[in-house]
Amino acid sequence: MEEIVFKKDRKKRVAQQCYHCGETCDITIESDEKYFCCDGCKFVYQLLQENGLCNYYELSEKPGIRVKGKFSTERFAYLENEEVKKKLLRFNDGKQCQVSFYLPQMHCASCIWLLENLHTIQPGILYSKTNFQRKEISIAFNAGEISLRKLVELLAFVGYEPYISLKDGEKKLPNKINRKKFYKIGVAGFCFSNIMMLSFPEYFSAGKIEQQSLEKLFSFLNLTLALPVFFYCSSGFFISAWKGLRQKWLNIDAPIALAILVTFGRSVYEILSNTGSGYLDSMSGIVFFMLVGRWFQDKTYDSFSFDRDYKSYFPLGVTILKNGKEETATISGLQKGDRILVRQNEMIPGDAVILKGEGKIDYSFVSGEVTPVQKKKGELVYAGGKQIGGMIEMEILNPVEQSYITQLWNNNDAFSEQKNQDKSFVHPWSRYFTLLLFIIAGCTALYWAANDVSKLLPAVTAALIVACPCSLLLSATFTFGNMLRHFGKNKFYLKNSSVIESLSKINTIVFDKTGTLTHPAEALINYEGVILTDDEKNLVYSLTKESIHPLSRIIHNELLLNFQVSPLTVSDFKEISGKGITGNIDNHWIKMGSWQFVCDDESITEISGGGMVLLSIDNKYKGVFRISNQYRPGLKPMIQKLSEKKYELHVLSGDNDSEKENLENIFGEKVIIKFQQSPQDKLDYIARLKKNDYDVEIVMLGDGLNDAGALKRSDVGIAVTENTSQFSPASDAIMDGSVVNKLSNFIKYAKAGKRIIVWSFIISILYNVVGLSFAIQAKLSPIVAAVLMPVSSITIVVFVTLASTYMAKRKGL
Amino acid sequence: MQQLEKFQYDNKIVRNFAFATIIWGVVGMLVGLWIALQLVFPTALNIQPLFSFGRLRPLHTNAVIFAFVGNGIFMGVYYSLQRLLKTRMASDALSKIHFWGWQAIIVAAAITLPLGITTSKEYAELEWPIDIAITIIWVVFGWNLFATILKRREKHLYVAIWFYIATFVTIAVLHLVNSFELPVSLFKSYSWYAGVQDALVQWWYGHNAVAFFLTTPYLGMMYYYLPKAANRPVYSYKLSIIHFWSLIFLYIWAGPHHLLYTALPNWAQTLGIVFSFTLIFPSWGGMINGLLTLRGAWDKVREDVILKFMVVAVTAYGMATFEGPMLSLKTISAVSHYTDWIVAHVHVGGLGWNGMLTFGILYWLIPRIFKTELFSKRLANFHFWIATLGIIFYAVPMYWAGFQQASMWKQFTDAGQLKYQFLETVTYMKPFYAMRAFGGFLFLTGAIVMMYNLFMTVKKGSLVANEDAEAPALEKIDSKHAGEHWHRRIERKPVQFLIVTLIVILIGGIVELVPTFLIKSNVPTISSVKPYTPLELQGRDIYTREGCYTCHSQMIRPFRSETERYGEYSKAGEFVYDHPFQWGSKRTGPDLAREGTANLKKSDAWHLNHLDDPQAISPGTVMPGYSFMLDKLLDTASTPAKINAMRTLGVPYEKGYEYRANKDLMEQANKISANLLKDSIRVLPNAEVIAIIAYLQRLGTDIEKNKIVETKNK
Amino acid sequence: MSVLIILIAASILVATGFLVAFIWSVKSGQYDDDYTPSVRILFDDKPAPSSEKTSLKPKQK
Repeated sequence: MEEIVFKKDRKKRVAQQCYHCGETCDITIESDEKYFCCDGCKFVYQLLQENGLCNYYELSEKPGIRVKGKFSTERFAYLENEEVKKKLLRFNDGKQCQVSFYLPQMHCASCIWLLENLHTIQPGILYSKTNFQRKEISIAFNAGEISLRKLVELLAFVGYEPYISLKDGEKKLPNKINRKKFYKIGVAGFCFSNIMMLSFPEYFSAGKIEQQSLEKLFSFLNLTLALPVFFYCSSGFFISAWKGLRQKWLNIDAPIALAILVTFGRSVYEILSNTGSGYLDSMSGIVFFMLVGRWFQDKTYDSFSFDRDYKSYFPLGVTILKNGKEETATISGLQKGDRILVRQNEMIPGDAVILKGEGKIDYSFVSGEVTPVQKKKGELVYAGGKQIGGMIEMEILNPVEQSYITQLWNNNDAFSEQKNQDKSFVHPWSRYFTLLLFIIAGCTALYWAANDVSKLLPAVTAALIVACPCSLLLSATFTFGNMLRHFGKNKFYLKNSSVIESLSKINTIVFDKTGTLTHPAEALINYEGVILTDDEKNLVYSLTKESIHPLSRIIHNELLLNFQVSPLTVSDFKEISGKGITGNIDNHWIKMGSWQFVCDDESITEISGGGMVLLSIDNKYKGVFRISNQYRPGLKPMIQKLSEKKYELHVLSGDNDSEKENLENIFGEKVIIKFQQSPQDKLDYIARLKKNDYDVEIVMLGDGLNDAGALKRSDVGIAVTENTSQFSPASDAIMDGSVVNKLSNFIKYAKAGKRIIVWSFIISILYNVVGLSFAIQAKLSPIVAAVLMPVSSITIVVFVTLASTYMAKRKGL
Repeated sequence: MQQLEKFQYDNKIVRNFAFATIIWGVVGMLVGLWIALQLVFPTALNIQPLFSFGRLRPLHTNAVIFAFVGNGIFMGVYYSLQRLLKTRMASDALSKIHFWGWQAIIVAAAITLPLGITTSKEYAELEWPIDIAITIIWVVFGWNLFATILKRREKHLYVAIWFYIATFVTIAVLHLVNSFELPVSLFKSYSWYAGVQDALVQWWYGHNAVAFFLTTPYLGMMYYYLPKAANRPVYSYKLSIIHFWSLIFLYIWAGPHHLLYTALPNWAQTLGIVFSFTLIFPSWGGMINGLLTLRGAWDKVREDVILKFMVVAVTAYGMATFEGPMLSLKTISAVSHYTDWIVAHVHVGGLGWNGMLTFGILYWLIPRIFKTELFSKRLANFHFWIATLGIIFYAVPMYWAGFQQASMWKQFTDAGQLKYQFLETVTYMKPFYAMRAFGGFLFLTGAIVMMYNLFMTVKKGSLVANEDAEAPALEKIDSKHAGEHWHRRIERKPVQFLIVTLIVILIGGIVELVPTFLIKSNVPTISSVKPYTPLELQGRDIYTREGCYTCHSQMIRPFRSETERYGEYSKAGEFVYDHPFQWGSKRTGPDLAREGTANLKKSDAWHLNHLDDPQAISPGTVMPGYSFMLDKLLDTASTPAKINAMRTLGVPYEKGYEYRANKDLMEQANKISANLLKDSIRVLPNAEVIAIIAYLQRLGTDIEKNKIVETKNK
Repeated sequence: MSVLIILIAASILVATGFLVAFIWSVKSGQYDDDYTPSVRILFDDKPAPSSEKTSLKPKQK
């Protein structure tokens, strides 16, 4: 048994690298001492070179994006369509237009540089600005000189094909970044620092300043500075508190709002009545800190969107046949009965029957099934599949809105709503806190009412002021904020902080197989049989080059990467689907495929099973390639850890059961493993789990559209993806494929986070106790308050930040 | 219908400022070295009156700060601003005026300071006509800056530009507020504020001058040139934005930490401490951001000398900004203040941060605008190493000297006597001063090597006076306000901004007028504190002219070690007639606040001899001699004008006293000369030395008259 | 310490000025993109050698 490749020394042979895209290539096209993998790359290079943009290649290593195959612009025809234009252009005054695109390929400084220099390549482009983090480009161009279609073609040509989906069709208002919070932080910060400054005389000359006039001036300046803080910066807390009250429950903001209100009121009174200088510094302080906290918490990952719906998967335009003539239309406009054309690598825009041509549909994205399925004339094809054969003509049965795949979203939007909604344990906690606070305040009131009425008001107000639970709020916001960062550092991107909480609760884990547990691209190849000579390898390479069947591709890439190939031309190549491929290369007949196909004589004992490719040359059986999925490294130990931790594990695969034994030796027998699961099955499975026992909390890991429903239905849906700029289904979190094996650490960390917050609660309560002890005795001097509050806030912040960082280290993140 | 626009960057102005930077840098350092040596060879190198230590030290500080660093800033700004905004400077004319105006100011300073024409306010010594010139040129600079921002082709203002803007605005305000003075003659003015107030304003300015002249613009430059030199974006642009805004809100208030334990109100001191201390966070944010920019590129740093310079610069910045807040803590200030520690501190900042960064930028920039390679990498490397060595040789001895000084000043014998005479502490310093001079020498050598290296580079290449560039005009469409007409929107914003800043400066100026109304409602007065007699006043002006404040403080802090040595600690009330204040910031020589009081009292003769030849009276002293005062005659003509000026400033000379002033002056002068005659010393009564003796004998005496009143008021 | 009033006034004015500047800069979307500008400064905007821009046409089909 000989392995063609040892996994570890992949890429040991450095094949000729393309000067443009850096990809290893067999046949190299030369152009002024530079090698290119394909004409596409060469053309792009020439284009840049003619326009003096070769700086592109100096800014970073091999920046180019491979120009796949030959460049067809047909598929952009729909951009001529007026309706489409109207939908895409963000501005259009007849001659000047502005449009912005999402360019997933943007990846380095060179990209930015090239994209912002488009105007030097193409007259008519006024300017182009990129936003690297959002992977967006916004281009202003002169419609007179260049059409939208030409523009997109240019982009596609240089390797940055914009991703234009049905979603872009909907008139989306230019993404408004919420700037309010920045204003608020700025104002609060400014007022806070100045109020602090002006309050110092008060503290450090024992309440007496040389000049009365100064003292007055200071307090009044403070008051003026405090106004914006009270009326503008802290508005958010009042609003949310009020909303809470309207729904008859006390959220964390209620006591905060109360505290702010009381502090402000009392301070105003003191200053106006000349009885003191108030607690304005403390007030502005806490407001500032809390605003910063909130800002810190909502870390957003610009470049991905977590809640895509089916619309993001379908192209915007489609070619329809109106009485024989080709026209472009938007998918949303498709009607039942429309006739459409689908070219190679285009997506089927709705459930339809094939009228002309032969469908080779790749459903991997919809069903998880890797091998493409053959579809004959008259057969039904579902939306979401990708045509990898030639052009086909078909008639629409259900437009995308009613298509099978779309149902997955629509029929469970219902529960996706109430998901991750303020079920934060901070809030119920705050209810008790507020209650307690009122009791204390009440007792104080009674006590002073009995003893010294004059002290009643000061004492009660003071109590309300110091007991402000700002530090509680901060503890949650900062912990989660920091945790989100640590998750992010480990390529695990959470939608928002409430996902951390849900994650900390989960007890059941459901895996999808293809693309989640396995590498979609890589596969493990074993070759058994007569050792192949280099020429023979070359033959195999040349033959597989012709086929688009995934197994052929895998073999083809292996050879390309691991041995010196020189492709030969294949004559009368045939691909019989479900059987195999055959062809003639300089008078050698090569056959590759299933046993039945390759070994027509019975001499060789039957070998069968998934991922088997037998090889015969000139009808002489050579051997068999065993191709099995490549599981992600470190999976087994992780699974063991999880099952020890008594997590309930499930595996749902859309693929056939060829992988059964491999899965079982990873997961062990008792784990439920299901195959041939349709998207609907997966969804139902999750639903059943939830139904059978109410306190089951599910995390589902899946890639692909086929898991979308299930991901939504489960408590935490994690979309696994190879590169985060790629499209991942709607989910609560996006996980890079390389870190799936860290899942257990992630869960542990989430749980740890909860503990950290509890600890910090305890700390802040201690502070409150101290403060209250002053307050209820009506002994709370402004300075004590001013010291206590920032100090407590800062300790909390420092504590939680350090703790969560330390925990991250300890949990191996 | 606009297309790609072609335009040219103005490199000529950049070159001019670059050359100015190099030349003035060498000059300033040369002066520095000279005065450093003067402390080692006080007699040999004392060329009085023009080049005595007291007159040269301000020249050194002004030269390095405003000539070297100043031109460095403008070089850096004019190069980066054009490229960051993708446009040429708004007006070549303004650029030229700015350049030549600034050089003229420097020359004026270089002439006036040795002539003893000074306001005696540290880092603001230049007299009022030059102050006005500075204001004008500064406005020219600002105008050019904002006009350029207006016609920019890049919407986003890179963080560096914000630092430049901050520099312009704040320096304008600081300069206006601090140099508020009343002219007596063309070359003489009195600070509008007196004593404590003057001190507070001065150090509010003094610190912020450091903050906004030596720091913010250089941070801006760091954020541009470091990424450029390393060819990688700054570590975190977000952090740099936060860095800027938090710095801006904090820096302005750090000033008072220069006055800890002085007669400044306690809370004002604490205020200074807290804000100074908080500063460490933004400062370090910036430093870390700078260093992390080079993460993963340290191999680059190893071969690229430019990056080496910058790394050392940023590190020095980190050290200085760590030390600063520490020094502003009372306990540490109690030890460090007045000692050579502070000198070390500022030179770590000056040589390390400003010096090294400037060098780095020069090496990066000159070859670029002259379209050639650097003449010699080896020389540049040599410069780097010798400069770094120079900093070490400078800082280490000074730190050590500082600690020693402090401890010697504070040590007591078991008998409770001060362990050391002040003179002992002075002589002890000498070897350290020598080492410091050596360090300075190394650094200067490096600078000269650079001068040669760059000169050869320039000869090799040829200036690209106008560098071609092209960029699309500032975007015409803003989708969010597609309806509105584009260029209004683009333009209005900077306009509003310009207006705002101008208003700020304007109001800042108006606000200055407030003191004229408030000046009387003053610090607790001490009834026994009387205005200076005309002779003393003249003496005091000589004291300021000779820059005695550079070595002698007049502020006794409430420590036993100081009250034992100098007497009763200073009270705010004692300085109400001091225009300007003379508290000083360094004690190379002893404090003089109570020079005239009983326990320090010396005979007129002693003073005369001591001024004539210090080494003869106190062997080993580093004080320069002032023998010329014995012959130089006092200019009594100025007396009435001075009395008038003082009255305007609220000093209670009764009406018409200016006419009698010179009579009183001569009376007092005759007394002193008669007194000297007893010791068989004959000098003319109207010799300058008489006046200064009169002043010295007066110092601190008021308070002795009646302690009672003063304690009541304190 | 009447002079303090001046200093405070001056300081607050400067600070206010910068507050306005801050609000302006946020409002005008200066900080909407807090990464790309840091890369953009690294590019030199040298004019490209003018050349016939026909190169695109043939490849279009």
